[in-house]
Amino acid sequence: MESAAYESRSSVNELQLVTRVVAGDAAAERELYETHVDRIYRLAFRLAGDDELARDFTQATFIRAFEKIGSFRGESSLSTWLHSIGMSVALNGLRKTKRLRNREAPIEEGLMVGSTRIEAEPDLKERLAKAIDSLSEKYRMVFLMHDVEGYTHEEISGTLRIPVGTSKSHLFQARSKLRVALADYAPEWVS
Amino acid sequence: MTEDKFEGFLGKAAQSYNAPPARTPREEMWQAIQATRAARPRVVYGGASLLRAASENQFGSRVWWAAAAAVVLVASGIGIGRWSASPDSTSQTTAATPRPAPALTVSPPESMPDDVGEGEPALVAGGRPRVAPSRTGIEGSPTPEGRVRSSGSVAAAGSAPISAYQLTAANHLSDAEALLTSFRTRSAADQHLDAQLTAWARELLSNTRLLLDSPVAVDPQRRPLLRDLELLLVQIVQLSPGSTPQDREIIERTLKQDHVLTRLRTAIPAGQRGS
Repeated sequence: MESAAYESRSSVNELQLVTRVVAGDAAAERELYETHVDRIYRLAFRLAGDDELARDFTQATFIRAFEKIGSFRGESSLSTWLHSIGMSVALNGLRKTKRLRNREAPIEEGLMVGSTRIEAEPDLKERLAKAIDSLSEKYRMVFLMHDVEGYTHEEISGTLRIPVGTSKSHLFQARSKLRVALADYAPEWVS
Repeated sequence: MTEDKFEGFLGKAAQSYNAPPARTPREEMWQAIQATRAARPRVVYGGASLLRAASENQFGSRVWWAAAAAVVLVASGIGIGRWSASPDSTSQTTAATPRPAPALTVSPPESMPDDVGEGEPALVAGGRPRVAPSRTGIEGSPTPEGRVRSSGSVAAAGSAPISAYQLTAANHLSDAEALLTSFRTRSAADQHLDAQLTAWARELLSNTRLLLDSPVAVDPQRRPLLRDLELLLVQIVQLSPGSTPQDREIIERTLKQDHVLTRLRTAIPAGQRGS
């Protein structure tokens, strides 16, 4: 009950914010940006593995979003709508340049994510990274969004425009492939 | 290990995969967004920009322009095929060697004398374009004898000259985006890649200059973009194998300051990206 009320209030706020942006309110534009930029940037970085590319994708996402904001009808949440644009920009950019993630990226920096310090063996990290890289685009997307960035299947469904069941299936497939790829570390996972 | 434990392990271990920095560069990106938007025509929300509105009044959106251009080009291709199949058509060919590069080839009008230098495409005002983008577009149609049809294809393509220019421009911008991204993400020690990029930049530079003299450069958004691109390409072309890291830094600074990549990405129609 409370949740439904919150969602409704949130939806109204979003539409009000969009209305202000459409009216040319610069403060509203900034508010929209500030609200969503972190998640968009993080996901772009996860996909690109490169700060410059992640920045480019994020910037292009917001530029497009501000251009198309008049077409936002509130059928999905603003976040989903923005992520949809963001993923389109990022995937097209990555496909276009055939950019592979930069393995020289400072992996150690990545160990501090939020407040959780991950103590994975260097070799395991490398193996895992390669295994994730080798996943097909659709599996990698869903895996990164769900297992790494914590998106729900509903959010993934809206962003990638696939049914929730497909999202779950892709995640299952992705995990299965990773499990096989990491079998050396714990053979019992494969069985 | 149970399924849940494996998922837990995977979720944690994968946090190190392409881990984003702890701080999002919010302010820098916001400045870049504002700068890029300031360089573009103001969009009227809920409607379209004045530029787009004018375009739509003429013949629908840019997407339709691109689609129409593609149809015209395909139709002209079929026409050429049929025309070349007819036995009496050989008398209408003119001897010409297919031009290897640059990629953008714009043919002179039929009355133009054949004195245009080899490999030096000429853009003639009022001339009808024959589009031949090298990587993503349609090549010219040389016959096995190395001849290029002159009148038939031009007549067909001439029905939508602006569309052909738009298509070529979109392909060109798309190639430029790929080059600049490759340039920025290359390893500094990779001399071999630098040489390849320089050669590619040279090709794109000549096409950029052709486009600057073509009707597509009338677009108030595209012209400054092409000018900035031209400057960058000149800088890349001038990079020698012995160039210093400072030389590269200057290029990268220009790239960042002018937000050329972001502007390119937003200037390329959606359907064109990733092609």
